[in-house]
Amino acid sequence: MDFTIRAATLEDCKDISRMILELAEYEKVPDQVKITQRDLEQDGFSKNPFFHGIIAEVPEHHKSREGHTKVGYSLYFYTYSSWKGRAVYMEDLYVMPEFRGKGIGKALMSKVSQLGLAAGCTQLNFTVLDWNKSSLDFYLKQGCWDVTSDLGYHCMRCEGDALEHLAQGDL
Amino acid sequence: MANFILRKAEPKDVSDILRLIKELAKFEEMEDQVILTEKDLLEDGFGDHPFYHCIVAEVSKQHQSADGHVIVGFAMYYFTYDPWIGKLLYLEDFYVMKEFRGFGIGSEILKKLSQTAVRTRCSSMHFIVAEWNKPSIDFYKRRGASDLSLEEGWRLFKIDKQNLLKMTDEE
Repeated sequence: MDFTIRAATLEDCKDISRMILELAEYEKVPDQVKITQRDLEQDGFSKNPFFHGIIAEVPEHHKSREGHTKVGYSLYFYTYSSWKGRAVYMEDLYVMPEFRGKGIGKALMSKVSQLGLAAGCTQLNFTVLDWNKSSLDFYLKQGCWDVTSDLGYHCMRCEGDALEHLAQGDL
Repeated sequence: MANFILRKAEPKDVSDILRLIKELAKFEEMEDQVILTEKDLLEDGFGDHPFYHCIVAEVSKQHQSADGHVIVGFAMYYFTYDPWIGKLLYLEDFYVMKEFRGFGIGSEILKKLSQTAVRTRCSSMHFIVAEWNKPSIDFYKRRGASDLSLEEGWRLFKIDKQNLLKMTDEE
């Protein structure tokens, strides 16, 4: 099947928002999505964007059952490793179920890698849920390794009240 | 002890920042992994689009370290994006020299970071900790941090440059 991979534009935010929700549903937590299409437009397409996007698009005659031609996306941003320097973080990678198995996911990831390498990055990082076996297998096949398993690094978060208290210096 | 001040890092601080990065890496038994140079830190932190931000803790000359240093702690951070909740502050490195611990420097740094997070409308502060690093895990949990790897099953993955190149070649 033909498909194109290209940089996301402001006009893509509607479909990106749709697919973010689909990915959250796949991860069994759709009620956790608070970001709207408008937030994406502001945060991704203003002077200092907080993320960048890539879209996978198919021609009109291959559109999805519901009539969509934008069938996959990746959201990424640049980070920094105090050991190795510039890095790229792939926040989301998603292909609609009916378009899987055609190399679209791999092509999206490859594009993020290309852009990362062009920007001087030496590593690509991302997180995967431990029950997501098909994704884990896909990534291990691309030559990735599991930093949590191998080095025992745990992802931590401080949010909401805890963040506010920390800011106020309460203990 | 000593009064200390916290301030934004300046280009002249890169030598101390690298020294502290290496000290922290040594503590994590990963000293040989640090390939970052002062030149990288200068280019990547103090240009038009910095890849990272840094706060340093400085003591007065009369309280300098055994080795004669006045920069005795630092935190390196940058902004990331969660498509569900928006902007986040990511804490990449956070370290206070051993001889300056127990004086509240770490707590003050964390407080300053949290204030930055709240001021810039970040919903959360994220970071990783090695599972064997019990004192740090306790320090963070006391301040309300949750362990996403344990609680939600997130595993951190990485692809290094060699495999990134391989992925882009296969296109």
